[in-house]
Amino acid sequence: MKRLKQFTQWMKGHIHLYLIGMVLLFALQYMRSLTPLFLQHIVDTVFGDKPSALPGIIVNLIDAATMQTELLFVALFSVGFTFIRLSFVFVQHMIFANFTEKTAYQIRNALYTHLQNLPFSFHSKADTGDLIQRTSNDVETYRRFVGEQLVTVLRLLALTTFAILQMFLMNRTMTAISLITAPIIFFSAFIYFIKVKSLFKSVEEAEGKMTNTVQENVQGNRVVKAFGNEIHEIEKFDDHSQDFLNKNMVLTKLMALFWALTDTLIFGQYALTASFGIYFVVQGRMESGQFLAFLALLGMVVWPLRQLGRVIGDFGKTTVALDRIDEIMEVPSEHENDSALTPEINGHVTFSNVSFHFDDTTDNLLKNVSFDVPRGETVAIIGKTGSGKSTLMNLLVRMLENQEGSIEFDGVDIKHINKKWLRRNVGIILQEPFLYSKTVYDNIAIMNPQANENQITNAAAIASVHEDIVHFEEGYKTKVGEKGVTLSGGQKQRLAIARMLLDDKPILVFDDSLSAVDTKTDIQIRRALTHYWENTTVFIITHRITTAMEADQIIVLDQGEIVAKGTHDTLMQTNAFYASLYNKQTDLKATLDEEA
Amino acid sequence: MQAFEEETYHNQEFKSHTWKRIFTLMAPLKKNVILVIILAAFTAVADVSYPLINRYGIDTIIETGDLSLLPIFIGVYVLYMIVLGGLIFSFIYLAEKIRNNLAYIIRKHAFEKLQNLPFSYYDRTPAGWIMARMTSDSRQLSELLSWGLIDLTWGGLMMIGLLSVMFVLNVQLALITATALPILAFLSLYFRKKILKAFRKIRKQNSKITGAFNEGISGAKTTKTLVLEDSNYKDFEHLTYDMKRHSIKAALFSGLYLPSILFIAAIATALIYYYGGMNVADEVITVGLLYVFVSYVMQFFEPVMQLANVLAHFQQAQASAERVVSLIDAVPDIEDTDEVKATYGTIAHPKKENWEPLKGDIEFNHVTFNYKKGEKVLDDFNLLVKSGESVALVGSTGAGKSTIVNLICRFYEPTKGTITIDGRDYKNRSLAWLHANLGYVLQSPHLFSGTIRDNIRYGNLEASDDAIIKAAKMVGAHTFITSFKDGYDTEVNEGGARLSVGEKQLISFARALLADPKILILDEATSSVDTQTEQTIQKAIETVMEGRTTFIIAHRLSTIMSADRILVLEHGKIIESGTHEALIENRGHYYNLYTNQFA
Repeated sequence: MKRLKQFTQWMKGHIHLYLIGMVLLFALQYMRSLTPLFLQHIVDTVFGDKPSALPGIIVNLIDAATMQTELLFVALFSVGFTFIRLSFVFVQHMIFANFTEKTAYQIRNALYTHLQNLPFSFHSKADTGDLIQRTSNDVETYRRFVGEQLVTVLRLLALTTFAILQMFLMNRTMTAISLITAPIIFFSAFIYFIKVKSLFKSVEEAEGKMTNTVQENVQGNRVVKAFGNEIHEIEKFDDHSQDFLNKNMVLTKLMALFWALTDTLIFGQYALTASFGIYFVVQGRMESGQFLAFLALLGMVVWPLRQLGRVIGDFGKTTVALDRIDEIMEVPSEHENDSALTPEINGHVTFSNVSFHFDDTTDNLLKNVSFDVPRGETVAIIGKTGSGKSTLMNLLVRMLENQEGSIEFDGVDIKHINKKWLRRNVGIILQEPFLYSKTVYDNIAIMNPQANENQITNAAAIASVHEDIVHFEEGYKTKVGEKGVTLSGGQKQRLAIARMLLDDKPILVFDDSLSAVDTKTDIQIRRALTHYWENTTVFIITHRITTAMEADQIIVLDQGEIVAKGTHDTLMQTNAFYASLYNKQTDLKATLDEEA
Repeated sequence: MQAFEEETYHNQEFKSHTWKRIFTLMAPLKKNVILVIILAAFTAVADVSYPLINRYGIDTIIETGDLSLLPIFIGVYVLYMIVLGGLIFSFIYLAEKIRNNLAYIIRKHAFEKLQNLPFSYYDRTPAGWIMARMTSDSRQLSELLSWGLIDLTWGGLMMIGLLSVMFVLNVQLALITATALPILAFLSLYFRKKILKAFRKIRKQNSKITGAFNEGISGAKTTKTLVLEDSNYKDFEHLTYDMKRHSIKAALFSGLYLPSILFIAAIATALIYYYGGMNVADEVITVGLLYVFVSYVMQFFEPVMQLANVLAHFQQAQASAERVVSLIDAVPDIEDTDEVKATYGTIAHPKKENWEPLKGDIEFNHVTFNYKKGEKVLDDFNLLVKSGESVALVGSTGAGKSTIVNLICRFYEPTKGTITIDGRDYKNRSLAWLHANLGYVLQSPHLFSGTIRDNIRYGNLEASDDAIIKAAKMVGAHTFITSFKDGYDTEVNEGGARLSVGEKQLISFARALLADPKILILDEATSSVDTQTEQTIQKAIETVMEGRTTFIIAHRLSTIMSADRILVLEHGKIIESGTHEALIENRGHYYNLYTNQFA
């Protein structure tokens, strides 16, 4: 029951609300069980001379000399009584709502914070769709559990208990007769709703498949049309749509049967109670007012029983949801036990014998990598996909942690430096940068909220994206992301560069971040940047050799190892691998030159 | 799916046209609808008569003390039980049958329409919009037209039944109860609308939160590198705070609703207690009748609340209905003429026996084209491509490359001028005929869920397994396919998530090859694949192009070089045309483009 601990944590500070709500809930159900007794009081006590089933205090309050005044008192009292009861119903409802929403608020916030703080290794493997499910559906399931289901169960339990108590106080034999079918009703509902769960699931799956077919059809409509497969698509969809329909109808039949049978059962109970009641009244073993009260109280027992069975049968869902939320919370945050050290970082970077492999394999993605980059130098790291370029960058900001060797900034092992501090000092421009669903302006300003408009347009201009932006319909106010315009890969990359310009960083990393920009613009941007970042240590990760050529130092990676290191000129002369790479990529230029 | 649900309602007018159209969709379910309405009426009668059975017990048996009547009472009760059980079963079954079948019918119509709508429709309609029509709208609409309709009938009849019986039994007490009716109706409608509105707000807020989570997860790497955790959290916290606020506000309305209704009921009950009690005392009415009235007051509220619920949802359903109708009745802006349909058949019923073989000569004659509301993309464009020739289209974004391809596929038609295939205007033959002869390889290859085999077979649904393997071998996909554990039966999952882009591309080449089209369109990807894959793809392209009229939107030099003719486009005009060698010699745009890119 570890998960409960986590959840009580979130409820803390609001739990008193829940307790007050509970106390009110019980009081209210007691009051509700009294309402049928007013009619009993009228019939038996006002008209007859028999004892009232209402509590003594109330009887004293509504006692009067004449029948008419007494009736008036009963009527007035019942209105007042109900008014008080209903006001409390409202208060109780608001208390539970406040409690539920406040804890849901805390859970959402906690989940969000935790997800953001989970290590990169978690995110690189995570299934986004599944995580979203957990943050929305599972939180909702939890919310409904505390806010609705638990309350409903307690409310119904309290109501049936008090109703049975009132019956018991009036007539024990009749109470026993009235409860004969109760266990059957409860258990049939309980078992039914557990059994039907798998059916619900199969309906959901069928719907999922159907929806997926539509989605694929819409997304791939060019392919569908170009191959003329419309009829095939219609048939495929119809199969899924019909399957969904059929599964629904299977469920429907069961559902109709369940409701019909339990309804019959409930009316059977009414028949039983009514017949015996009449018999007892005629026999003089019960008053007719009591009989009427019994019929009303019976309704407070049998109908809720069925609902109770349903809600309890549904509880399983909640534990699953709680487990799923908990699974996320259990993954330790990457900032847990992180160092508080925030040394000044100037940009001198040293890799000494760095090796890295993921926990689940022994294959080293990086092997014994060593190099030294003095402050202000530009290093190009070149290599094929899978050569370890990106791993190297991930190690540099502790997205991943190297198992062997050390990485030092100005002589301090980065393992001892606070992660956030480290990342604030190393500006990485990713190949596929993420833009937030804000305006273009805000996406740039995100790195420096104090920046003024001039600085922002200036940054955009340096990154060669200003022209693109002003051509958007709403210019800098254009929304990006899911609900806004779709930017090309190159535009995104250039925006990412622009936002990086707003903040001074001693170390910068271009992680293949101009790959989607044409060569001409690439050069243009790099020229502009060299002036901007004179004292900055710059890492350029690329597979374009022309981009790497101008660096002070070129590191060639292959299968996790450094196969060559040096300037362009030395490498061309001493390294065959580099030279062949160069020749391959500049081959065309050579042919063109020849032809010229 | 939740995010797709729009929540805008433009006006509240009753749209008779829309509903008429929806009712025509319901026609096949007519019998069921009539039956369920009759059942609803019977159920209302049963509900009204129930307290009367008890009254019989109270007034006749108890008053007279004649226990010999008890078996009759029990018999009536048992009969009632059975009838009610049967009613409830058929009621639920039929209502659900209507609901599910109606949703099915709507989906069927919509999907068939979608297959007939031209590409331009997809171009301007977001996928999410279409998805919402197929899911939430068809669901909401069928819900209202099954249960809503039944609630309306049952509720209406129940109220009429209750009122009539009450007035027959006792006018004074009936009047008291009836006075509560308008107050109840008003309160119910007021609260239902408020609640619905509040919940709509919550749903909206909820999809915002889901969106934020999505962003937090997809953008995790960027967030970490930029250390934006705190600023993101601040934004997020605003959303959850608003969610909390909206939810508590919604709880306020839903919390007030039932108590206020019950309070009205309590007043009515108290009045019955008093006046009814007085009548009993004066021996004007019996105790049994008093019981009946007390029961009726409580029974009265159910139908009122149900009716209010249906009315409150009506507006929402009408919005759904309008959107569904707008899809089902969408008029395709590219369609075969009736004469063409008569000869060549429709998409659903093609007359393949009349289809001439296609050779593959394509000619653009003075073609002018602009997208809706757009500027001219092509202006007086002329081009002749001979059967079997391959043409590479080169130029910057917006030069008109995609437009030319869209026109050839007849995804769009020329605004002015004609396009002929084998010398005849292609509008004179059917879309299905053209598409049957067309092969298309997309920039980002689209795979359907299913196996690799299914995906290759998509090019020709009648192809044998051998033909599939042969096609895969020809494009060089066989090796990687057989390296999977399940080989050709490997599932590609949603959108082909487990395959690399290069592999997906090879599969789509095999698919195109299997289709054996006369005209082939290659929309080449810019994405960088490693050299090995690039070589395989290049070979595949050359294999696929052989003997077909091919149009390539090309980015890779190797692909461009293999074309018979290269067209350099700018602003919808051909500014250069010729073979690679000729163009290089020319020292024009083409030369500049490529010396730039590789320098």
